[in-house]
Amino acid sequence: MENVLSVKGLKKNYGQFEAVTDVSFEVKKGEIFALIGPNGAGKSTTLKVISGLLSLSGGEVIIDGLNIEKDSDKIRKIITYLPEDSGAYKNLTGNEYLRFMAELYSDTKKEADEFVEKGKEISGLGQRLKNKTSTYSKGMVRKLLLGRTVMSKPKLAILDEPTSGLDVINAMEIRKTIKKMAKEGMSVLLSSHNMLEIEFLSDRVSIIDKGKIHESGTPSELKKKYNAENLEEVFERVVEPKPEEIK
Amino acid sequence: MRKFLVLLRKEVKELLTVQVIAPLLVTAVLFFFIGNLMDKEQKKSDQNTNVAVINNDSGSQSSSALIELLKNNKLKIQLLENKSETEALEEVKKNNDAALIIIPANFNQSLETGKPEKIKFFTPLNNFSLTGSKKYSTVTAAIAITNDAFSRNMIAKEITNADPESLKNPIKPDEYVVVGDKQANISPNLIMGFVSQQTAFIPIILFMVIILASQMIATAIANEKENKTLETLLTAPVKRNSIALAKMAGAGLIALLSSLVYIIGFRSYINGMSGGAKATAEVSQIIKDLGLTLTPESYALLGLSLFVGILVALAISLILGAFVEDVKGVAGLTTPLMILVLIPYFLTMFLDINSLSPALKYAVYAIPFSHIFLATQNLFMHNYLPVILGILYQFLWLVVFIYIAAKIFSSDKIVTMKLNFGKKKV
Repeated sequence: MENVLSVKGLKKNYGQFEAVTDVSFEVKKGEIFALIGPNGAGKSTTLKVISGLLSLSGGEVIIDGLNIEKDSDKIRKIITYLPEDSGAYKNLTGNEYLRFMAELYSDTKKEADEFVEKGKEISGLGQRLKNKTSTYSKGMVRKLLLGRTVMSKPKLAILDEPTSGLDVINAMEIRKTIKKMAKEGMSVLLSSHNMLEIEFLSDRVSIIDKGKIHESGTPSELKKKYNAENLEEVFERVVEPKPEEIK
Repeated sequence: MRKFLVLLRKEVKELLTVQVIAPLLVTAVLFFFIGNLMDKEQKKSDQNTNVAVINNDSGSQSSSALIELLKNNKLKIQLLENKSETEALEEVKKNNDAALIIIPANFNQSLETGKPEKIKFFTPLNNFSLTGSKKYSTVTAAIAITNDAFSRNMIAKEITNADPESLKNPIKPDEYVVVGDKQANISPNLIMGFVSQQTAFIPIILFMVIILASQMIATAIANEKENKTLETLLTAPVKRNSIALAKMAGAGLIALLSSLVYIIGFRSYINGMSGGAKATAEVSQIIKDLGLTLTPESYALLGLSLFVGILVALAISLILGAFVEDVKGVAGLTTPLMILVLIPYFLTMFLDINSLSPALKYAVYAIPFSHIFLATQNLFMHNYLPVILGILYQFLWLVVFIYIAAKIFSSDKIVTMKLNFGKKKV
């Protein structure tokens, strides 16, 4: 299967601080790939570099055959990014927000109309789309933003903690939507703290800590390799300091 | 261009909130209402300045002449008869009259002997408002005019064949106002008063537009950063410079719209405060002849100076906004900009910049916003060169600040700037 995303030796420094030192992985077409790791492991920074929000300090990022450093304008048309805990414009209605974003991603009015319809359908917010987003609950905002993220049918959707802070019902609905979109051919790169979510959603995962990828594979491969019941145990064993590292 | 317009439309929608529109309209309506009220009250006080008079020299020629002269000078006289001083004063207080005047019993006789008796003059003070003080000044003015008339009469009676006017005012100033190579036979106080009253609102409006625009753009960026909508925008297929420019244009448009509303309200307020201050046709003509009016070219230059000034303020705010992590931080970060606007605002309002020491003068000239405030005065005097040089100087700063803003927006700094404050999140 063709690679939609290929990351090789990614590095990102903030001044003297090395946030990401060596990250490499691939995401295939229609695949859901997850980055899991503790706080400060470098997940968000990796996603921000791949989404073009931050420049890279070293390595290479290729998306659909395009180099992120040379073809960033073309890449931004085929990817979308959902930041962690992000909101929508409070003075716009849900419909206006979708329309605004659709017009940025489309070249014609017809295309924008299609995107808006798709966004409405995915968000599942119905009549509430006529209300200002300032009246929405956290779950509703997240559904609206997910609708926005996938409505333009990107080749790669980058989702940073897509269900963070949501209740069980809202989180489940969002997971189902992500699965459905991947089945339709969209590739998804996501990060999460929630190991159960990752196990349910992801085709493959990479465990990242201190800016480096420590392990990659399908959830079942990793569970087998580490003789673990679930991904939480795998995670614990991968990032747990080895006895010789403990002073 | 299409995407820039999409961004601009969003900026305007986001900025035109009820929280912005409501105070704007309320302030404008309040200004308008207070202005009209002041105008009405001043006119009312002009017509109805009631004064009570006890004439203890009733029937004498001088006391009747005095009362007649007071009546002719905007005072409504109520003669009180058979009342003691205390009773009359009580009535004056009750009726909210401006004053109680007591003409002494031997008023006429004292005038004839050349040793006039004092006239008692009671003024009950019950408020210190503008209309209140106007009421008292109307009475004082009427007394002064009456005094003058009596004085002329006495001079004419005492010195035959003499011109009372020449004796009272032997020095007659013949005042001329000179502007450039033009001059007019008029009191400078009259011209200065009228021109400064007509232009008083210009620096206030300039100040408000600049501050409003900068607060708006800094708040807009802070909001986007706080909500992380900026991160979404920066990854969308749209040029980063378009995002920055749309923000500047949106804030500039709303600031101009706000200032237009304020101008209308403020003008009505100023007109009301000064009782309309309508110049006579003669004064208007002299002002025109002296060239103390803004020509269409002057308005264009003033507009251009203001426009470039607003852009400079917006570009600075765009840079400052990039440092702000949330809306709460906006006020603190835009304070330096406010100081830069306040300095020339106050200095040009109260001082002649050219009379300052060279160091201070050039320090004021170095502030780009000074040239907007100085432009009005220069344009009235038809000094176009300093205005044009000022605009070019502002433009230079604009290029510098836009370059810095563009650099910040096209780099990681727009996302990571907060890291400089030691709050790392990776």
